Amino acid sequence: MSASVDTSEIHMPTVARPIAALTRLLLPALLAGLAGAAYAQEAVAPAADAPAETRALDSEVQDLKKDVVDLNRELFILEEELLFPANTQVAVFVSLDVGEFFALDSVQLKIDDREVSNYLYTPREAEALLKGGVQRLYVGNLKTGTHELVAFFAGKGPNGRDYRRGASLNFEKSVGAKYLELRISDRQRKAQPEFEIKDWE
Amino acid sequence: MRAALLIDRIVPAVLSLCAAFAASAADSPLVGREAPDFALRAMAGDNVRLSEARGQVVVLSFFGSRCNPCRAQLAELDAVYRTYGPAGLTVYGISIDDDAEKARQFSASVGVGFPMLADPQKAVGREYAIDRLPTVVIVDRAGKVRYVHRDPESRSEPVYVRELRRLLDE
Repeated sequence: MSASVDTSEIHMPTVARPIAALTRLLLPALLAGLAGAAYAQEAVAPAADAPAETRALDSEVQDLKKDVVDLNRELFILEEELLFPANTQVAVFVSLDVGEFFALDSVQLKIDDREVSNYLYTPREAEALLKGGVQRLYVGNLKTGTHELVAFFAGKGPNGRDYRRGASLNFEKSVGAKYLELRISDRQRKAQPEFEIKDWE
Repeated sequence: MRAALLIDRIVPAVLSLCAAFAASAADSPLVGREAPDFALRAMAGDNVRLSEARGQVVVLSFFGSRCNPCRAQLAELDAVYRTYGPAGLTVYGISIDDDAEKARQFSASVGVGFPMLADPQKAVGREYAIDRLPTVVIVDRAGKVRYVHRDPESRSEPVYVRELRRLLDE
């Protein structure tokens, strides 16, 4: 007997279903509207305290924003630690010094004959590098042992001509993070750009 | 008489317009999502990265040198760009031709004022799920894809000018 009552409660008539759904949707909206109206009335009533309240609210919002930024930063660090643990991590950086004889266009990076990055530079990015910026071009994981890094640099060389050069480095990956730097500098004596890969021990 | 006109002409027109809007929006999974970033070589001038245009309304027009409607589309976009460029509109034409030389010749013959980019590997085309040409993708100032136009009805100039004006006002 009780089972039949339960069933009728579960299987609502087809007309009742949309009404119930509508009620479910409208009720929270109405409640929110009423709450908003009540809040508005409260906010309007003590007009004299309004600037102080606004200041307090503004400071709360600023605090919340700061918390969000801090949390985001922590999350980013955690994600990095998880994806690239220190014992397998390899990071490759790019720096550009002076740049009188070379305008950087792109860098292609290969590790153990596998292309891991092919980066195209816009004038703004190249300018940021020229101003002393260091770009993390690649971060990945490698097993311990000997590996080969090959980098191809393309751009405009002396006299605005197309210029493409390569540089390679055999490096030992041990336990602990490995940092490598692709360094582009000017060789004043030869009036040519110089490309080297530096292993940060 | 008026009622008959309303039923015969205006209602179907409005319905088809709504259907076109719905189709163009529903077709692309990108609408409402962040526009995939890319860096491409320009056929003339500097390399371009999409994220550097953040804060502007961006129109991406994917085209091919063997696509006839693309020529008219690019010419229309050029007129729009000249009008709304100062208000914060950026337009990029993206060629998905395999043959870089053909793409360059086509771009030169169209003669538009905005940058024409080459995507010979079609990496950007794949990211934007381009399956027909021309396709127009409209990105808002926050870097989100707002409209994708693939079908000819929704690709007409008045439609996207209306959308662009709305986005430029945001």
